[in-house]
Amino acid sequence: MAFLEINNVSKKFGATEAVSDFNLQIEKGELVSFLGPSGCGKTTTLRMVAGFEMPTDGRIVMDGKDITDMPANQRDVGMVFQSYALFPNMTVAGNIGFGLKIMKKSAEETNQRTKEMLDLINMPEYAHRYPYQLSGGQQQRVALARALALRPDVLLLDEPLSALDAKIRVSLRAEIRDIQRKLGITAIYVTHDQEEALSLSDRVVVMNAGKMEQVGTPFQIYNFPETNFVASFVGTLNTAEAEVVDPARGLISMDGVQFVSADDLNGRKKGDKVRMSVRPERFNFADDQKKDNLLDCTIENITFLGSVVRIQVKIGKTVFNMDTFNNPFLELPKIGDNGQVTCSKEAVLVISH
Amino acid sequence: MNVADNLSKPPVKKMNWDWVGVAPFFIFAIVFLFLPSLSIFYRSFQANDGGFTFDNIIALFTVRDIINAYKTSLQISLITAVGGAVFGFLLAYAVVLGGLPRGIRTFMSTFSGVASNFAGVPLAFAFIATMGNAGLVTRWIEGIFNISTRELGFSIYNMWGLSIVYMYFQFPLMVLIMAPALDGLRREWREAAENLGGNTYHYWRYVAFPILMPSLLGTMILLFGNAFGAYATAYAFSGSFINLVTILIGAQIQGDVLYNPGLGNALALGMIFIMGLSMAGYVWMQRRAARWMR
Ligand SMILES: Nc1ncnc2c1ncn2[C@@H]1O[C@H](COP(=O)(O)OP(=O)(O)O)[C@@H](O)[C@H]1O
Ligand SMILES: [Mg+2]
Repeated sequence: MAFLEINNVSKKFGATEAVSDFNLQIEKGELVSFLGPSGCGKTTTLRMVAGFEMPTDGRIVMDGKDITDMPANQRDVGMVFQSYALFPNMTVAGNIGFGLKIMKKSAEETNQRTKEMLDLINMPEYAHRYPYQLSGGQQQRVALARALALRPDVLLLDEPLSALDAKIRVSLRAEIRDIQRKLGITAIYVTHDQEEALSLSDRVVVMNAGKMEQVGTPFQIYNFPETNFVASFVGTLNTAEAEVVDPARGLISMDGVQFVSADDLNGRKKGDKVRMSVRPERFNFADDQKKDNLLDCTIENITFLGSVVRIQVKIGKTVFNMDTFNNPFLELPKIGDNGQVTCSKEAVLVISH
Repeated sequence: MNVADNLSKPPVKKMNWDWVGVAPFFIFAIVFLFLPSLSIFYRSFQANDGGFTFDNIIALFTVRDIINAYKTSLQISLITAVGGAVFGFLLAYAVVLGGLPRGIRTFMSTFSGVASNFAGVPLAFAFIATMGNAGLVTRWIEGIFNISTRELGFSIYNMWGLSIVYMYFQFPLMVLIMAPALDGLRREWREAAENLGGNTYHYWRYVAFPILMPSLLGTMILLFGNAFGAYATAYAFSGSFINLVTILIGAQIQGDVLYNPGLGNALALGMIFIMGLSMAGYVWMQRRAARWMR
C-alpha cells in the first residue's frame, strides 16, 4: 500500500469542477510534481491534501489512515506557500519555532530544533532577522524550514520558486531536492514550469483542466507523451496533422511528405487521421549516414539560444523547430537555403487525439 | 590622476533644494500649530490686567470644578476610545471577514464615512429627539410600560449618555481605519498557522493581533484625541450640564459671567500637555508593536 493515496478525488466550486477524478499513489520518500498550466487544479488538489479544501468526492489516505475529514491543524503535513507567507511579526527563529511553541515543546527542544533547521537551510546566522530583512530566496528557505520543523510525514510545496528570479530558482530547487532526499520525506511539488518538474521529480503528474493527463517518470513524460496535451505542454514540440498510409510499416503522410514511425500503428487503418510530433533535438542535418527519414526542407529562421541554436525548417507546408548544439567550428546554413534534415523513426511520435 | 589631484579640486557644492517640497507643510505647522501653542503658553501666565501670574496654573490643580472637568473629559475619552475601538473592530471584522456580500461592504464603508463625520449639533439633536426626556423612543417605552423614565431616575444627560452620543462618531471612524487593516491580513498567514497545528486562538493571539496592533494603537489614540477635543456635540447636547474641559474653556473665553481668558488658556495648556503625554505613550508603544515593520 502506498504511503499517500489520493483516491477518486474531485472538487467542485459551485458549477465549476476544479479537479475531477484524481487518482494517485505516492510511495514513502517519493517526490511527485503536479505539472500543468495555471488554473488546471494543481493548487486545489494540494490544498485538499493539506486539509484546506474538502473534496466533493473521493478519499485521501495517509499511512493507512483515512484523513479526508481530518482538520488541517491535525494533519502531519507541512506546507510551503507560493508567496512565502512568513509571519511578518516574528523573527526567523520565531517563524521556525511557531509550530513547536503551539505543540508546547520545551524552550530547550524548540531552540535545538530551530538551530537544526537553520543549519539545514544554511542560514544559521539569520535567526534574529525579521522577514522584511531577507531576500525572497531566503524567505522561501525559512518557509521551508518552518514547514519541516515539526518533522511532518508529507511536505507540500505550491509553486515555491515562482516568485524568485531565474538564477535563484535553479539553485534553490536543487537545494529543496537535496533536503527532501536527506530527510527522506514524501513530497508533492506543484509547478507550471516543465523544466522544474522534469529536473527534480521522481514522478510527474501532468494535469490539464482538472484532469490527470499522464503520470510517469520525467523520462517517460518527456520521451513518450501519451496525449497531445502532454506532448505540447512538456518541452517544445513540433506537432502536425498526418494521415496513416501503411500501418504495418509505420508509414504516415503529412501533406504528402512521408514519415516512417516506430510507433505501433496496429489498430489503425489507412486514411486514419493522426497527430504526429518530433522533438526539436531529434532532427539533424543530413550527412552520409543513412537515416529512416530524409526530408527536404527550407531554412526559415535561425535563433541563437546560447548552448543551443534553434533553426526553423519548413518541411512540406509545415514549419518545424530543430535544435542543434552550438558549435563555433561548424558553419550554420543561411535563411532561405534549401537542404535536407533527417530523423530516426523512433523520433516520430504518433499521438492519439 | 593621483590623490593629490583629487585633493586639489574641492568638490563643487551644489545647493540642495529638496526642502522646498515640504516647506508649505512646515509653514502650515508653524502658523497653525506652533504659534497658537506658544500663544496659549504665554497667555496662561497672564492675569486679566495683563500682568504675570501663576494663578491660572495653580487653579488647574486646586479648583474642584476644574479637576472634575479634566476627570470627566479623560473618562469619556478613554471610555469612547476603548468602546469605539472594540465595537468598531468587531463591526469591521464582520464586514471584512464575515463573508458578507460585496454590496453590504460598500454600503458599510460609505455609511461609516458619513457617520464618522456626523457630529456636533445635528447628532446631539438627533439623539435628544429619540432618547431625550420627550424623545420618540422614550415616549414609546413610557407608553408601552406605562412608566415615567424620569421618575425612575433615568437620564441621558450625564457622562454615560454623552459617551453613547460620542460613540456614534467614534466607532464608524474605527471601522473606516480598521477595515483596510483587516483586509491586509493574508489568507496564507491563517493557513500557515493552521498548517503548523494552530487553531483560531493561536492565530489571533500570535499572528493577527500583533500584526494589527500598530493600526489598533494608532486608531485608539485618534479616537482618544477626537473625544478629548470635542466641544460642539457636548455643548449642543447638554449646554454646560456636563462639566468638560472644552466646555469650561468655552465659558472662560465667551461667557459673560465667567470671562477669564487667562484661565481659558491655562485649561487649554493642560489639554495640550495631556495630549502630548498620550502621544509620547503612543509613540513608545507603537515602536514596540511595529518593530517588525520596515
Ligand atoms: N475558492 C475557490 N472558489 C471558486 N473557484 C476556485 C476556488 N479555488 C480555485 N478555483 C477554481 O478552480 C480552478 C483550479 O484552480 P487552482 O487549483 O488554483 O489552479 P492551479 O493551481 O493549477 O493554477 C480554477 O478555475 C479556479 O478558478
Ligand atoms: Mg496554483
